[in-house]
Amino acid sequence: MVRVDASGLSHPGKVRSVNEDHFAIMTLQKAVQLRATNLNDTTLLERLRKPEVYILVVADGVGGGTGGKIASGVAVRSVVEYLAEAVGCVRDFDAESENAFLDQLSHAVERGHARLKEMFQTQGGPATTLTMMTLVWPRAYVVHVGDSRGYFLRRGTLKQLTRDQTMGNYLVDIGAVTEQHAQKAGLYNVLSSAVGGDLVPNIGVVDLADGDAVLLCTDGLTKHVSDGRIAEILASRSAEAAAHALIDAALDGGGSDNVTVVVAKAD
Amino acid sequence: MIQKKVCMVGVYGTGKTSLVQRFVHSLFSAKYHSTVGVKIDRKSVKVGDTDVNLLLWDIEGRTSDQEIPASYLKGAHAVFYVADGTRRETFEQLFSLQELARSAAGQVPSIVAFNKYDLKDQWLVQQADAAKLINAGFRMMTTSAKTGEGVEEAFRALATATLSSATTQTVQPPARHGN
Repeated sequence: MVRVDASGLSHPGKVRSVNEDHFAIMTLQKAVQLRATNLNDTTLLERLRKPEVYILVVADGVGGGTGGKIASGVAVRSVVEYLAEAVGCVRDFDAESENAFLDQLSHAVERGHARLKEMFQTQGGPATTLTMMTLVWPRAYVVHVGDSRGYFLRRGTLKQLTRDQTMGNYLVDIGAVTEQHAQKAGLYNVLSSAVGGDLVPNIGVVDLADGDAVLLCTDGLTKHVSDGRIAEILASRSAEAAAHALIDAALDGGGSDNVTVVVAKAD
Repeated sequence: MIQKKVCMVGVYGTGKTSLVQRFVHSLFSAKYHSTVGVKIDRKSVKVGDTDVNLLLWDIEGRTSDQEIPASYLKGAHAVFYVADGTRRETFEQLFSLQELARSAAGQVPSIVAFNKYDLKDQWLVQQADAAKLINAGFRMMTTSAKTGEGVEEAFRALATATLSSATTQTVQPPARHGN
């Protein structure tokens, strides 16, 4: 069985006094202990054993005062609670169960969204990005809202699993503005989708392989650290050491924002 | 509601993501973004009196050094092959993609969309190619993610086929887009 080594860190950065980012790393497993038997069927334990499920999530709150911090905390708690219940209901990850599970992933984010809407009933209340990976080896399910990111590294090549949901990307995609205009107008800093705002979650899947590393991060990392440097750090260290090195690199690069990373590596 | 997994399969750059974007969001972007892994979208369609929720698995395109993982195709209820009418090699690779899809998902309903029909003056696929595909059991439609032509019809035809057969079937496209 593949061992997944996971670690996460969050830092307020060098400029901001409040850290509005949150993260969580969870492992879920249905444990069956066969205490005694005289059965000859040695495959019984294998059949009873369910796959171990890892849930990794990062969120970057947006809003005045402490609103962003509350928003990202509520979102992370909500999706983690929901998935902990939902994954327990999934008997196995066959094709049919997988279709149902994909619905559960959307529902998890919608629950976080609904909680925020209940708490802050005014228009333009605090909101948050959210990038979550549910790993049922070797399959990784990614749910993404906003401009936090998910990456995976395979044989030294870093690939971005998510695409930033910003007004810049949206308006350039539909041909409404040029990239230069979007850049100049600061549209890449405006979210087109957020938990607690206009919610349009993206869902993706990728099958991982032994030796792969995955990274979830808030934009406090990618503002200051290049893809090349991220790849170097992920490739050469344990999950915990890589998490520390990525935070250090973001701070060395300026630390202008809160920065949060979750790293997982498969041995 | 009935759920059906539909896998979008083809060589990179044929317009799989654009077809899904057009069908689900009525949007088209001329900017190319390669898909990493699989992007999943949903759309409900009504087939007769039945609501069908299509789970569209937009699978990263095959490149010269990267095969499509068969694991993504497992459990598919239908396969939507996409070729680019202006790139002949995307047609030639349909046969090996069909072999891969059949070995992973069985003989589920399928359709081939020759996409980028808005560029038909640059078309490189010929009548003889269409005949080869028909002999191989493919059914074809022409689509343009840019203009929307044929897109809704192609997905609806496939959704209908998933309901009308639990085993072997290919899609009979509407005559307007057929060959």
